[in-house]
Amino acid sequence: MKSHVYQRLLAMQASRRNVLKGAVGAGALALGSASGLATLVPRASAQGSLRAEMLKIPGVGAGSPTDADWQKVGELCLGGTKATVQEGEFAGVQLTFMGLNNQNLHNFLFRGFLKPWEAYTGARINWIDLAQADYNARLQQSIATGTVDFDILQMGAPFEGDVCGKGLASVMPDWVRDLIEMDDYVGYLKEPVGTWDGKTYRISIDGDCHNFNYRTDYFENEDFAKAWKDEGHAGDWAVPTTWQQVQEVTKFLKGKTIDGFPANGYLDPLKGWGGFGFYFLASRATAYAKHPDDSAWLFDPDTMKPRVNNEAWVRAIQDVLDVMDAQPPDQINADPGTTGFQQFLAGTGSMLSWWGDIGSSAKTSDSSIVGDVIGFSTLPGSDDVWNHKAGKWETLSSGPNFAPNMAYIGWGVYVMARVDSDSKKQKAAWSAAAHLGGKDISLWCAAYPSGFQPYRNSHFNIPEWVEAGYDEAFIDDYLSSEADSYNHPNAAIEPRIPGIFQYYSVAEDELAKTYAGQYASAQEGADKIAEAWERITDQIGRDNQIKLYKASLGI
Amino acid sequence: MQDVSPSHSELDDIVAAEPALENRGRWGVLVLAGGTFVLVSTFAIQLLHANGSIAFGFDTWRPVVYAYLVWAVSLGASQVLRRGQAGSRALFVLPAVLFIAAMVIFPLTFGLYISFTDWNLSSFEGRKFNGLDNLRQMMSDVFYWNALLNMLWYSLAVLVEYAIAFGLALLLHAEIRARKFFRVVFLLPLMLSPVAVSWMVGKSMMEIRFGPLANLARWLGWETPIFFSDPWLAKASIMVMDAWTFIPLMMIMLLAGLQTLPKEVMEAAKVDGATAWQTFWKIVFPLTLPVSITAIMIRIIFKLKLADIIINVTSGGPGGATDSVTSFIFREYRDRSNVGYGTLLAMVYLVIIVVALTTLLNLLGRWMRGYGQEES
Repeated sequence: MKSHVYQRLLAMQASRRNVLKGAVGAGALALGSASGLATLVPRASAQGSLRAEMLKIPGVGAGSPTDADWQKVGELCLGGTKATVQEGEFAGVQLTFMGLNNQNLHNFLFRGFLKPWEAYTGARINWIDLAQADYNARLQQSIATGTVDFDILQMGAPFEGDVCGKGLASVMPDWVRDLIEMDDYVGYLKEPVGTWDGKTYRISIDGDCHNFNYRTDYFENEDFAKAWKDEGHAGDWAVPTTWQQVQEVTKFLKGKTIDGFPANGYLDPLKGWGGFGFYFLASRATAYAKHPDDSAWLFDPDTMKPRVNNEAWVRAIQDVLDVMDAQPPDQINADPGTTGFQQFLAGTGSMLSWWGDIGSSAKTSDSSIVGDVIGFSTLPGSDDVWNHKAGKWETLSSGPNFAPNMAYIGWGVYVMARVDSDSKKQKAAWSAAAHLGGKDISLWCAAYPSGFQPYRNSHFNIPEWVEAGYDEAFIDDYLSSEADSYNHPNAAIEPRIPGIFQYYSVAEDELAKTYAGQYASAQEGADKIAEAWERITDQIGRDNQIKLYKASLGI
Repeated sequence: MQDVSPSHSELDDIVAAEPALENRGRWGVLVLAGGTFVLVSTFAIQLLHANGSIAFGFDTWRPVVYAYLVWAVSLGASQVLRRGQAGSRALFVLPAVLFIAAMVIFPLTFGLYISFTDWNLSSFEGRKFNGLDNLRQMMSDVFYWNALLNMLWYSLAVLVEYAIAFGLALLLHAEIRARKFFRVVFLLPLMLSPVAVSWMVGKSMMEIRFGPLANLARWLGWETPIFFSDPWLAKASIMVMDAWTFIPLMMIMLLAGLQTLPKEVMEAAKVDGATAWQTFWKIVFPLTLPVSITAIMIRIIFKLKLADIIINVTSGGPGGATDSVTSFIFREYRDRSNVGYGTLLAMVYLVIIVVALTTLLNLLGRWMRGYGQEES
C-alpha cells in the first residue's frame, strides 16, 4: 500500500474491516480490469451528467435560486462526503461556522448546501452571520482577544497574515487536498496563497479579481456613434480599452439620453464600504501604478513607504474628480454595493469595475435588467505607466499597460486550530469545509448568484455553461474576462499583510473628503492617505509588515 | 430619679452574649479574608499568566469572575457575622452595589487604562502603554473635531424638536376627535428601530430615482432632489430622520406633564379672561418647565449617541459633513481595529458629555429660578 493511500485511509479513520473490504474490492478490480475500466467510464460520464443536472437547478433564466435549490445542489454533491465519511459518523458533533450574509448569499447558500451533509453525517452546524462591513472587526477582535468562538471560517486571503500567522488555523489534512482537487485551481490561487510557512490552510471557494463590465447597447447605439464623430472624438465609438478612453466616453455621455433615460458613463463608488471601497480606486490605479518590471504597487517593499501619493495614484484620484459631475445624481452617496446592484444591474450607467458577481448575477438575478446587454473585458489599461523606481511616466513598446486588480484574492474556507484536539470534530470540520469547496459545487456557485466567481480551470469549460442554458457568446465573453485577468502576467496582487483593511478604511475617509472638495487637490488628499498609512504601519510594526509584504510579493 | 439600670438577668444576657458576638466578628473577618484571598490570588495568578510571567494559569478570565462572586458572598456573610442586624440590612443594598461595581466601575476603570495604551488588534506586539500619545493624536485629529462640531449642530436641533414636540403634545392634550388613536399613531416612529428608519426613509423613500419623497420633491419643482450630497442639506436630512424617530419621546413626556397640570389653575385663568397665548406662556409653559428640561436633557443624551442612521445612510459623508462622534469612533474601532485610540476618544467624549450636561443643568436651574421670580 502506498504511504499516501495509507495516510488517507487513516485520516478517514477507516476501520480494519473497511480496509480489508477495500482491499477485496481492489482485488476484484484488478482481476477483472476490463470490467473495472468499464465501470470507470460510466463514472466519468456520471460525473458529467451530475454537473449538467446540477447546473439546471433552477435553470438559467428561471429566477434567483432558493433554499430548496441550494439543498438540492448540496445533496447532488455529497459524493465526496460519502466516499470519506460513514453515515452518521459525526453524530453529536456541533460545529460553529462564521461567514457573511451579503445580499442574502454566502452563509445562506452554505446552510442549504450543508443541510444534506448534516443529515448524512449527523453533525450540526451553528451559524454566525455577519454583514460585510462588520466582518473585519469581528474577526480582528476574535484574533486579538483570543476568543475564537467558531470552528469553520469564511475568510479572504488578505487575513491569512492575521490568522495563519498566529497559529489559529488548522493545517489541511492530505485527504482533503485530494478530495477537493486543488490542482484544478487557477494559477494565482495556488501557493503561496492559502499557505503559511509551507503549510496549507485554505480551501478556496472563490477567485477574486475586478473585471470591466459594460453595456453593449450603449456601444452599439448609432446616435451615440454619430454624436461621437460629430463632436470630433478620435477613433470609432467603441468599448474603451484604456482609462483615458473611459474618461473621454464618460464625459461624452454627460447630458445625453438612451431610451429616454439619462445616459451615464463609468460608475465610481464614492462612498466607503468598510474598506472594500478602496478596491475601486485601486482598479482605476493599477494600470497607472503597476509597472510590469515591478511587483510592488501599493508600498515600497523595502520601507513600507506608501506609494498611494505617487503620480500614478494621484492621476487615478484626479480621474475620479474629473468625471464626478458626469456621474448619476447623488453618486457621492453610492457605495460599491449601490453601484453594482442598484445602479448597473438595474440599468443605470454603462461601465463598471466589479468582482465577477455582476456577471453571474446579470442573467440569473431577479433584480437584473441588463442580462442581454452586458459585455465583459479585463480592466482597462493605460497609454502610459508610472515607473516608480525611475520616477517618470513610460510608454511601453508593447502598447498600453494592463494590470488587472486581483482584489481580495477570493474567499476561502478555513478550519480553526481549536478543533485539532478532538479528532472527530476536526474531521467533521474539514469534511464540511471540503463539501463547500468541492469541484462540482463550485461550478454551480460560479454559474449562479452566490457571491463567488470562477476560480478553477474546470470552470472555464464553455460547453458546460451552454448546456446549462447560458448564451455561448455571453458566457464566453464573461469567462474570458475572468481567465484573462487571472492569467495576466502583470496582475496586481493584493498584499496579504495584517491590518490591510485598516489602510483601506482610513483611505476611504480621506477620499470622502477629497471627493467632497475639502482638499485643494488630489495630491493633497493622497498625501493625507499616505500620512495615515505611515501611522498604521508604525503602529502595527514596520519590520514585520516589510517582511510580510515582501513575502506576499514573492521577493 | 427612676432607676434605669438593667436588672441582673438582663445583665447576664448581655455578658453572656459578648463572647458570641466576638466570635461571630472573628468569623466574619476570617470569612472576608478568605474570600479576598481567593479573589486576589486568582486575579494575580491570571494576570501573571496573561502577561506570560508564569506558565500556570487559566485559559480564560472566567475563574476570576467566579472568584469575584465568592468574594461577594463572603463580604455579605461577613457583614451579617460582624454587624448582626445592621449587616443583614446591608445585604439588601450590597448586591446592587457589587453589580454596579462589576458592570460599571470596573469596565470604566479598565476602559480608562485601555485609553492610554497603543492597542491595534493587528499589531503583533499587542497592547502597550503609550502615555498621552492618544490624547496628542486626538488634539490634531481633524475628523474627531469635525464630528464634535457636528454634534453641536445636532444638539441644537433638539430645540426645534422640542418646539414641535410641545405643539404636538398640546394638540393631543386638547379635546380633539380620535385623540387616543392619534396618540398611538404619533408614537409609532419611536417604536421603529433607527436602523429600520435609515433604510425605509433614508435609503428608500429619499432615494433619488424611485423614492416617494424624491418624487414628491420633483413634483413640487425640485429638479434633482438629492438629500445627501450637499453638506448642510445632508446634515439637515439626518436631523429630520432622527427627529422623526425621537420627537414622539419628547412629546409623550410633555403630554404626561400637561396632564398633571392642576385643573383649578387652568379654570381660574379662563375665568380671569386669559387668552390662549397668555394661558400658555404664563401658566402652561412655566408649570411644565421641569418636565420640559427633563425631556430636553434626555433627548440631548439620546442625540449625543446618534450613529445608526448616519452609519447606514451616509457613512458620515459627504466629506464628514454628517459624521457624529459615535459613528467616527465606530469606524475607528470597527474598520481600523484601533482599540486604544478609539477608547480614548470615547472616554474624552464621556467627560465632555458629563461636564456639558452638568453645566447645562446648572444654567437651566438658575434660569428657572430667575423665570419663577420674574413671573411672581
